[in-house]
Amino acid sequence: MMAIRELKVCLLGDTGVGKSSIVCRFVQDHFDHNISPTIGASFMTKTVPCGNELHKFLIWDTAGQERFHSLAPMYYRGSAAAVIVYDITKQDSFYTLKKWVKELKEHGPENIVMAIAGNKCDLSDIREVPLKDAKEYAESIGAIVVETSAKNAINIEELFQGISRQIPPLDPHENGNNGIIKVEKPTTQASRRCC
Amino acid sequence: VLDSFSQESTLPFREARKRTRFQPVQVWRNFTASQTTESPACGGASLGEMSAWTMGARGLDKRGSFFKLIDTIASEIGELKQEMVRTDVSLENGLEPAETHSMVRHKDGGYSEEEDVKTCARDSGYDSLSNRLSILDRLLHTHPIWLQLSLSEEEAAEVLQAQPPGIFLVHKSTKMQKKVLSLRLPCEFGAPLKEFAIKESTYTFSLEGSGISFADLFRLIAFYCISRDVLPFTLKLPYAISTAKSEAQLEELAQMGLNFWSSPADSKPPNPPPPHRPLSSDGVCPASLRQLCLINGVHSIKTRTPSELECSQTNGALCFINPLFLKVHSQDLSGGLKRPSTRTPNANGTERTRSPPPRPPPPAINSLHTSPRLARTETQTSMPETVNHNKHGNVALPGTKPTPIPPPRLKKQASFLEAEGGAKTLSSGRPGAGPELELGTAGSPGGAPPEATLGDCTRAPPPSSESRPPCHGGRQRLSDMSISTSSSDSLEFDRSMPLFGYEADTNSSLEDYDGESDQETMAPPIKSKKKRSSSFVLPKLVKSQLQKVSGVFSSFMTPEKRMVRRIAELSRDKCTYFGCLVQDYVSFLQENKECHVSSTDMLQTIRQFMTQVKNYLSQSSELDPPIESLIPEDQIDVVLEKAMHKCILKPLKGHVEAMLKDFHMADGSWKQLKENLQLVRQRNPQELGVFAPTPDFVDVEKIKVKFMTMQKMYSPEKKVMLLLRVCKLIYTVMENNSGRMYGADDFLPVLTYVIAQCDMLELDTEIEYMMELLDPSLLHGEGGYYLTSAYGALSLIKNFQEEQAARLLSSETRDTLRQWHKRRTTNRTIPSVDDFQNYLRVAFQEVNSGCTGKTLLVRPYITTEDVCQICAEKFKVGDPEEYSLFLFVDETWQQLAEDTYPQKIKAELHSRPQPHIFHFVYKRIKNDPYGVIFQNGEEDLTTS
Repeated sequence: MMAIRELKVCLLGDTGVGKSSIVCRFVQDHFDHNISPTIGASFMTKTVPCGNELHKFLIWDTAGQERFHSLAPMYYRGSAAAVIVYDITKQDSFYTLKKWVKELKEHGPENIVMAIAGNKCDLSDIREVPLKDAKEYAESIGAIVVETSAKNAINIEELFQGISRQIPPLDPHENGNNGIIKVEKPTTQASRRCC
Repeated sequence: VLDSFSQESTLPFREARKRTRFQPVQVWRNFTASQTTESPACGGASLGEMSAWTMGARGLDKRGSFFKLIDTIASEIGELKQEMVRTDVSLENGLEPAETHSMVRHKDGGYSEEEDVKTCARDSGYDSLSNRLSILDRLLHTHPIWLQLSLSEEEAAEVLQAQPPGIFLVHKSTKMQKKVLSLRLPCEFGAPLKEFAIKESTYTFSLEGSGISFADLFRLIAFYCISRDVLPFTLKLPYAISTAKSEAQLEELAQMGLNFWSSPADSKPPNPPPPHRPLSSDGVCPASLRQLCLINGVHSIKTRTPSELECSQTNGALCFINPLFLKVHSQDLSGGLKRPSTRTPNANGTERTRSPPPRPPPPAINSLHTSPRLARTETQTSMPETVNHNKHGNVALPGTKPTPIPPPRLKKQASFLEAEGGAKTLSSGRPGAGPELELGTAGSPGGAPPEATLGDCTRAPPPSSESRPPCHGGRQRLSDMSISTSSSDSLEFDRSMPLFGYEADTNSSLEDYDGESDQETMAPPIKSKKKRSSSFVLPKLVKSQLQKVSGVFSSFMTPEKRMVRRIAELSRDKCTYFGCLVQDYVSFLQENKECHVSSTDMLQTIRQFMTQVKNYLSQSSELDPPIESLIPEDQIDVVLEKAMHKCILKPLKGHVEAMLKDFHMADGSWKQLKENLQLVRQRNPQELGVFAPTPDFVDVEKIKVKFMTMQKMYSPEKKVMLLLRVCKLIYTVMENNSGRMYGADDFLPVLTYVIAQCDMLELDTEIEYMMELLDPSLLHGEGGYYLTSAYGALSLIKNFQEEQAARLLSSETRDTLRQWHKRRTTNRTIPSVDDFQNYLRVAFQEVNSGCTGKTLLVRPYITTEDVCQICAEKFKVGDPEEYSLFLFVDETWQQLAEDTYPQKIKAELHSRPQPHIFHFVYKRIKNDPYGVIFQNGEEDLTTS
């Protein structure tokens, strides 16, 4: 039996950039028996295989409005990964993204895997944020970056696969006899990448 | 003929499995009774019926057969339980199980009762029954002998070497990191013993390779004492144990523990019967029997594809159904399901009305392979016959015995049973099915007293759907039959289990939680139901059947309940170390109200205590039987957690609540919340950032009721369950069938609005209680998410009032959270006393005498003015109006305004990205030699 690792993933980004659309797309699009009705779209889970493990993403959505900013630490604490979403048609949302990255670096969990998603890439004709900018920025902070379209299901799987790959595999010895393993933090690999 | 069926003939059960990590729904397939062979008429009838049945089945609606399958499944689970357990009912009736057995035999087969009793006399199982001690009882009492979890492989081998074949030990294999059943083999097997790994799923124990799962280890072993399933032969209890006449005797043996094996008490019977003694009278010679055993002896274990699974069902084995299977293979299933659309009452029908009916039929799913396959069904054996077969065939079969023992050859008989089975299954699904209907009633869950007992070959008929009481009934019956008297409380199935008990299930459906299914939601079947509804819509009836199945399965929670209860009892027993620990702690807390500096401190200490006690219990030997024997390993922590709630939080609940309230009154947060709540309530939803439909008055009332129920719970998990239901309700209103998915952007404002509308100040302490006391491992799941959201919403409300407060909230919340985070991420380490929130270090500076410092108790909502007063007292200042509190930070002095909150300022400073060195200094306002005075220091701070 493959071990299931639970990975908390937190979604950050301005309101309206499509955070929850990305998750909904990710969770519901795929043929997966294991998804189950949840209470609502703000918390969703999805299990994907990764190597010889199963990664169960526990995806925590956050409210993007400025006034809820102060609550964000509650949501991102203990996260193995953060998906920070911006809207490629809104320059402002990219600034907000940078603020989130900064905050995560300062207050977020150590070694958190950061993934930047430039959503709404189906609207590239009214693009405000060049892909190049995002790539350069992501590289500078050691984050994954993809442009996604929740609407057209572009790069959604890839985004989460990228995260999965960044999560270091468990030491098989820790596996023990317990099929379920909870991992709250990734270990060293992620940080090495950042440097 | 014999050869071709030999394999099956020695297999009373065929493993049928299809397992995944999802919650398995298992199904006990019958041990097809074959006692009817002596009547050729019956056989003929059955054959005829069978073909009609098979033909009719083709045209049958797939849903119908699916439904019947479920129905049969549910009923058979119950029956197997009956078999496994000797119930009180049979005792009350004064009906010795052996007698029951023989009565039925008598009717079915027409041979004498005495013979039958004799038959049973040598069997350890029957023996035990005649002594009014079931195998389960014997196992329960003597677990210190055979359950040797700490024994190494070598030691176990050593013990077993000296034992006759069939003797076993359960120990833990270091290699496999699993419990294993070590079985002594007879010499012809080559090896002296063989290990069978014990598989533990979320709720059950099973032998590796077998499709049969058990609620606990005792039942598993008891079962394998009667039927071999995947074993080469049945297990055998040591002679002394199987012949003990009373519980006292057993206890005496148990006291020896491992020493039993080397003691004279472990005497051998004069002529130990071989564990797999062939039955003789029917013509199977011992040699061929042994051959059979060898063929299957240690037969290989293999995974089966769904179609193979169906094959093995045809063979009357157990099938193992889980929701995934149902979904994935729903097509093959429905395509393959063949049920008779009509049934002919058979000769047996009338007979059964007056006698305890024979064992229920195999679910008609069997028939899906139609006639060629059906030929194989003849290999089925009834369970009691298996016993005879394996152990006492020689005794069981005096020449007069009409019952055909080796079923393999008796094709007609088997097919008869098969057909009869199909018919009965059918009847269960169809109204007006004639004689079977009555039978169904008799055997329906909760209705009839369980007639079958351990080792008895008679079985209750499958309950018909018409007579089946609501699902709780089914549960009730099942749990009533549990071996332990204490398990009768297992009725109150804890519905939080599926959601929280198993992390993989944290995402369980909550939709069902508002309905009547509340009591019994076992997530998986219902989940699968929901999912499947996308491919084809299940009739409501089927849904309810599914729920019945899930209800039936909740009886597997019994060991858990039993364990929790046992721990709770232990906690009240001051003679035990554990009891002392708990009782002392509880009374200490109640008597020493001053021992905690803050609510958080108090709750964290309690949490810490629970965690420590859990650790103690999981290693302690005070639990008897050991928790490992009742609870699968990955569930132990869950069960212990639940037990902690019961024995620690339950008695402390009132105290904790009162203390929380005191703390919040004292630090002013109660008042603050109250005032702000009123302000928020006056705002319209849009002002709160709500842009989704909001619950109306009626919904808010419903939510309030749920919150009030929450207040009555002591278990943080159950409280969270209710919170989740509230959130679900909110979501339902928001989505309002629009199909729109709302994320946190929309949900959080609505939640805030709703919480404000509820106008319940107590929610604040409720949330705190949950956040601090919930098992940390659950905090990343759905419960943790919505709890976090509720906490956030309350924080927003609490700090609604002032712009300034709103700004400060960020840092303050962040700090609270940081501590909280620390607690969670340090993973149950000792909580540190929260000196941050409640203490303030203040330096006292006199122009002439330099600096002295004091740590003052300063709660978050104490103003600078108050702090100055405290300072004046503490530093014995004669002219306090000359002094004020200053903040020295970044080389500058700022005098703090009277209405500012020093703790908030401190929080803000702490939360800054770069650590600042700062001091609070109480000193003279004038003669400030160092810096500038900021009358409005705080604003400077917050904008910096």
